[in-house]
Amino acid sequence: MKSLAKAVKAIQMYHINHPSARNFYNPLYEKMAIYLKDHPVIEYQIDQFMISNRGKAVYKEDEKETSIAFRLFRNGIRNISFISGLSFHELIKFLRIISKISKDEDIALELWEGDFEHINFYVVEEEDEIIDYKVPDFTKMDIDYDAKLREIIARENIDLNVPIKPDLAPEELQTLKNQIAEAEQTSAIPVAITTLISYLNTEKVHEIIDILKELLELCIDNRNFYDAIRIVNKLSEYPDINPVAKFETEPIIVGFKDVINTAHQETFNEFMNFISFFSKKSIPYLVRLMTFGKLKERLQDLRKAVAYVAQDDPTALATLLQEQDIDVLVNTIAILGSIKSNETITLLEPLMNHHNAAIRMEIIAVLTEMDKAVRIAKYLDDDEEIIRIKALQSLTRLKYTVIYYDLLSRIKSKTFRNLDFAEQREYFNCLVANGGHEVITQLRKMLFKWVFFKRKRYSVMRKLSAMSLADIGTGHVLDILRRGAKRRNKNISSACEMALRKK
Amino acid sequence: MSIHKFGTDIIALLYALVKAVQVYDLNNAVVQTAAKKIVYSLKTLLNIYSRVQLVRYMDYVFFNKQRLRFEIDGYASLQFIHDKLKTLGIKSLSFLPEIDKEEMIIFASLFKKKKEEFTNGYSSSRFKRILVEFSTEEDEVPDFLREGERIKRTYFKALKVTRNLMQNLWMNQPIDVKSSRRIIYNLIDSLTQDEFGLLTLTAIKNLDDYTYNHSLNVGILALALGQRIGLSKKSLAKLGSAGILHDIGKVALPRELIYKSERLTNEEWELLKKHSDYGIKEIVKARGLDETGLISMTIAYQHHWNYNGSGYPIHNKNESPILFSRIVRICDSYDAMTTPRMYQVVPYLPHFALRVMWKLRNVWFDPLLTKVFIQLLGLYPIGSCLELDNGEIALVIRQNQGYSDQPIVKIILDKDGKKVADKVIDLSMNSGIKVIKPIYAQKYGINPATYFM
Repeated sequence: MKSLAKAVKAIQMYHINHPSARNFYNPLYEKMAIYLKDHPVIEYQIDQFMISNRGKAVYKEDEKETSIAFRLFRNGIRNISFISGLSFHELIKFLRIISKISKDEDIALELWEGDFEHINFYVVEEEDEIIDYKVPDFTKMDIDYDAKLREIIARENIDLNVPIKPDLAPEELQTLKNQIAEAEQTSAIPVAITTLISYLNTEKVHEIIDILKELLELCIDNRNFYDAIRIVNKLSEYPDINPVAKFETEPIIVGFKDVINTAHQETFNEFMNFISFFSKKSIPYLVRLMTFGKLKERLQDLRKAVAYVAQDDPTALATLLQEQDIDVLVNTIAILGSIKSNETITLLEPLMNHHNAAIRMEIIAVLTEMDKAVRIAKYLDDDEEIIRIKALQSLTRLKYTVIYYDLLSRIKSKTFRNLDFAEQREYFNCLVANGGHEVITQLRKMLFKWVFFKRKRYSVMRKLSAMSLADIGTGHVLDILRRGAKRRNKNISSACEMALRKK
Repeated sequence: MSIHKFGTDIIALLYALVKAVQVYDLNNAVVQTAAKKIVYSLKTLLNIYSRVQLVRYMDYVFFNKQRLRFEIDGYASLQFIHDKLKTLGIKSLSFLPEIDKEEMIIFASLFKKKKEEFTNGYSSSRFKRILVEFSTEEDEVPDFLREGERIKRTYFKALKVTRNLMQNLWMNQPIDVKSSRRIIYNLIDSLTQDEFGLLTLTAIKNLDDYTYNHSLNVGILALALGQRIGLSKKSLAKLGSAGILHDIGKVALPRELIYKSERLTNEEWELLKKHSDYGIKEIVKARGLDETGLISMTIAYQHHWNYNGSGYPIHNKNESPILFSRIVRICDSYDAMTTPRMYQVVPYLPHFALRVMWKLRNVWFDPLLTKVFIQLLGLYPIGSCLELDNGEIALVIRQNQGYSDQPIVKIILDKDGKKVADKVIDLSMNSGIKVIKPIYAQKYGINPATYFM
């Protein structure tokens, strides 16, 4: 008990997690655990200023302010017992409750609500309070009770011969147990929402709407977007109510960063549905939120969700394009790409040659989404290889046949061989994608070309041609490669063999 | 593991062993295994406790001073052991360390015998590690059951809190939320000690204070039913609060309507029905939006929804009331039927109220919960006045678990109509006396409340 009193004092002086407090309650738990190994229970009786065990005083403190005994006694607690099996967690919870100093704290209530498995306590009602109870008055009335009984039996059509057998069959017992388990696990919030919605289905009552709005906040705080959507769906039926307006602020929206990064996928998906109710006012904050996004797929989904909000009026995104923050710009551009409106290109025009490669990359992605190959082709001369590659990949995907001869001439130019292999390969891919039948002839020519000088340097062109032919992969083309593999020219035969192997 | 769980496990193992020795030879593997299991468990417990003791008092079984509640789970084994202890006249059974399998098997085999044979067959020299204490005519009430005064105090304090809560809501005064939260735990504690103590007090009907008494009684009945089906303490706290608050919407109605002594007109009925709707707002005022508040508002709204989808307020018939609402539906109807009111001076006798509910199970009431409710109250609930086949008039003072039609009664009038003092009969104990029918106590000028307070 002395150790317990010291632990309480330490918790009152420091925070419960403070090392000084731990120095008191850790040994307390150890002592109790050792005792409870050999004894089923430790029981304490509480008096006004004294705590005793088996009639022996183990704690005395007459100072009301500091006496644990007095604090427990004042709350009606007369007996506390710790039972074998007491866990450290339970003891800490118990200490936390009894260490509270405020006079308004109801320790008994908190102990009850603590729902301890291995701590029992006995509480009495305030004995100084007068509870008046008397036997209810009884006056014999002039009533024919037998007639009344017959009347009830007749009215209710009660058959007195019907046996009442209240025993539960095993399957009934199981059904009931399942229902109980379900009821114990179900949170009150969805049930209450169903109730309130059911009420509103019969009558529009402002107080009920206000309660739902409060619950909506609770749901958002708890990241329970499923139930939040149920509320929003219902309240959206009233044109004079905008249930989500309250949440369209920067601090709240940026506060959802946990949802986009660490929440369960299901929660995230529900969040996506929830933000579809937002107005365009939320767009800048949602874009700001995206800058905290760490997961690529979720970021994509979020962009699509914002695009949905902004689709009717993409100009809402225009102001964001003035921002200096690269992340904000990239996300805004991506959203514009998802919207694919007529204004998108106009809005992006000033950023087409932005100095930051990430911006240009994102613009190419948008242009690809919008099938703007002509504009993409301009990036083939970009200073950065990564951008040129991205442009080539986009043109490959879009099948922009007009570019074919331009590509061919670029490939045949002397400078082509100065490029990195990755970019060269993308050129060939793009050529194949946009070339039609004619491309096989060109590739064949490049594969078997007679070269007198700088043969080694040209071997890269043979490899690329062979690989592209293998990619086309028709029987005729594979025959070409097979024949090439038999050529005496080692450069040609090895390029063809390699391409065939990869096939 | 809690003491309660230890107790129910030992009861289940003893049940298995006694059943096994009734069917098989003592050397049979089934008997040997059952004995091995219980001895192992007892030895484990005897490492923690110096002795393991089962005590039977009236219709209770205590394991190391902790009352084992009749819950739907383990009901059969507890009822069987309780009945065996009762018919064999055993007050307590103590198991001591060093108990072994052979002693356990031979002792269990005595359970097949009749009371006299058992008494003759048992001797402390034969059973050194199993001590039996036999019941006497006037067994002393165990200390832990001398709770009558405390329970009464708890009940009337709860009534006061309920009254204050409703009156303050009525008059738009601040509400003492802490007191109403606290009283629920007091009620749960009282029920855990002695569920029939509080149920007895719900049987005392007060015509003057119907609204408050009814609210509290529904809360207590719901708690008792919830406890019987094995709800956790946390859920019980929510259910109890919700039970007390189920009719709170009535504070939003004109007082004249609530206290009207004549039958209500159709318009007035329609208005009264609105209390389910109004309950939501009043509960938010009283409790806020914590878990209990949210559950309570749902129950206030659904407590007139029937099991078959009918009832009010109008709702989608496919939407079922939640479990707690179905509990409160039963308790509310029972208390309403059995309580006198201005326009129902002669209420339904509890037995007939239960018959109505039995008839309406599956229609108005959840059939499984109705069964458990009847198990809990018995066919003649506490406070019922009965005419016996020997001409005596008796008052039901206690239920007999497993014998729902054979309660423990106090004889009030003899066959000549003369008052009888201090005569209590357990109708399940071969008394040969049978119940003819339940009757109105008022017919004989009996005020049941005087016997319970």
